[in-house]
Amino acid sequence: MSEATGGMFSGHKTNGRVLVMDDEADVRKVVRMTLEKAGYDVLEAEDGEKAIQEINKDENPLLLDVIICDIRMPKINGVEAINYFKQNYSHVPLIVLTGFPDTEMATGFLKQGIVDYLVKPVEKDRLTQAVAKAMEQRELNRL
Amino acid sequence: MYKALSRDRALFLWACRATRVRCRPHAPVKGGLAVISSDHVVHVAILGAGKGGTALLEALVNLPHVHLIGITDKNPRALGLQIAKFHHIPTSRSSIDLIQHPEVQLLIDVTDDPGMVSTIAQHKHPGTEVVGGMGAKVLWDFIQHGIMIQTQLFQAEKLAGLGTFASGIAHDINNPLYVILAMAETLQEETDLTLIRQHAVSIYQAAQRIHAISRNITQYAKASKTQSTANIDLHTKLDEALNIARFATKFHEITVKKQYKGQIEISAQPEEILQVFVNLMTNAIHAMEGKGRLTLTTEQTNGMVYVSIGDTGCGIPPENLPKIFDPFFTTKTNGLGTGLGLYNVRTIVRKYHGELSIESVVGKGTTFRLAFPQIPFPDMVAHDQN
Repeated sequence: MSEATGGMFSGHKTNGRVLVMDDEADVRKVVRMTLEKAGYDVLEAEDGEKAIQEINKDENPLLLDVIICDIRMPKINGVEAINYFKQNYSHVPLIVLTGFPDTEMATGFLKQGIVDYLVKPVEKDRLTQAVAKAMEQRELNRL
Repeated sequence: MYKALSRDRALFLWACRATRVRCRPHAPVKGGLAVISSDHVVHVAILGAGKGGTALLEALVNLPHVHLIGITDKNPRALGLQIAKFHHIPTSRSSIDLIQHPEVQLLIDVTDDPGMVSTIAQHKHPGTEVVGGMGAKVLWDFIQHGIMIQTQLFQAEKLAGLGTFASGIAHDINNPLYVILAMAETLQEETDLTLIRQHAVSIYQAAQRIHAISRNITQYAKASKTQSTANIDLHTKLDEALNIARFATKFHEITVKKQYKGQIEISAQPEEILQVFVNLMTNAIHAMEGKGRLTLTTEQTNGMVYVSIGDTGCGIPPENLPKIFDPFFTTKTNGLGTGLGLYNVRTIVRKYHGELSIESVVGKGTTFRLAFPQIPFPDMVAHDQN
C-alpha cells in the first residue's frame, strides 16, 4: 500500500472511514485534509490495483464506509476499479472525483448507482456533503 | 521577348495540377480552356534554383504530365539543386547546356538575370517555348497562393483537432487547480510554519504544471508566421507531440516505448512536423482506446531519417487502407476526427520529400513509418542571391 493512514483502526471516534484513490499525492493530501477536518478517517491508494490490495487486507472490507475514486489512474483505471468494487463490495458507496467535466461519463456512473460525480476543483463543502450522503447510504446498506 | 502563349501554357499546367484536371498542353487554347490528353508529357527545364526555382521544382516534380529535364543555378549550394539531386533530376551550373537540350519544350526562367533573356534567345531551339519575366512572377504568385491555402488548411485541421483534446486538457488543468485552491484556502488559517512551507511548495508545483500545459498548447496551436525552415531535433519534437497527444485519452494506461538513436535533425517547419507527429500519435491513442503500448522509433542511415509510430490498437481493416489518406475519410465517431488528419500528414511529409508507409494488422496494431531525406539546406541568404 502506498500511503495507508496510521491510526485508522486505533479505536478513536470517527464519522466514517473513507478510501481515497488518486494517482496524485497532492490531490490525496487535499482530500485527506478536508475529510479529516470533517471527522473522517482517510485511507489512501495511488491506483486501483493498490486500492484493491488494501481493501482486501485484514478487516478493511468490513470497516470501509466510502470509496472516493479518480478515473485516470495507472494499472487499473477508475472505471475498472469501480466495476470491481460494485461487484465485490456492493455495500460500500462510491464517489467519483475526477478532473473530467464529462456529462456522458457522469450520467453513466450515476446510472450505475454512484453516489456522486464530483469534478475537480471541488469545494470543501461539496466534498463533505457528498461523503455525508454516501455515509447515509452506507447506513441504509447495513440494515 | 517571350511569347505570351508560353506563359499561358505554363500557368495552365499549374492550374491543371491545382484542379486535378488532365489537360493537353498543345491543344488549341480557347477562352483560356483546353483539353489535354493523358498520354502527353511536357519536357520542362528550370533556369534558377533559388526560392522561385525551388518552388517551381516542388510544384512540378509530382505532376504526371511534366518531365523535368534539369535545373541550373550558378550557386552550387542553391536549395533547388539539392532537392533536384534527391529526385534524380539532372543539375548543372551552366545554363547554356540546358537551354540547348534537344528535348526541352518549355524553359522557365526564374534567374532574375536581365542577361538571361538574350542568352536564351541565342541558344534555344526554335520550337522551345519560354516563360520568364512577368510570366514567371505570376507563376510564382500562383504557387505561393496554393501554399498559403494549404497552410490555412493545416491550421484549420489542427485547431479542429485541439477541440477534441478539450476534455483531456481540462482534466490536466483541473487536478493542479484543485490542489492550488484547496491548499491556498488552508493556508489562510494555517499557523504551523512547516505546513505553510509544504503547502506553498505544493501550490508552486501545481501552478508550474498548469503553466507547462498552457505553454504546450499555445505552441501547438499557433500558426506558422513564416515559410522558413529550421533544423529540428526530431526527438524533442516527438516528446513535444507526446505532451499534446496524451490529452486525447481519458485514461492513463498507455505505456510509451522510446527507441531513439543518437541525435537526429531534419530541416523543416517545426510547426508542421509537430502536427504530423501529434496527428499520428493521436490516431494511435484513439486506436488503443486508452490502453496499450505506443512505440516511437527513430533511425538515421544513408542520408535518410526514419521515424516509426506504432500502436497496439485495433488496426485498420484492409478495405480501408487505400482510403485512409483521402480527404474527409474517417472512421472516428463522436466528432473525434475531421477526416483531414492523415491527408495533411501525407501532404506535409511529401512537402519535405519524404515517404509515408503503413503496416496494420486488425486486432494487433498499426505502425506508420516516415522516411525523410537529410537534404543539407543552405541558409536562405545563400539561395536568395539568385
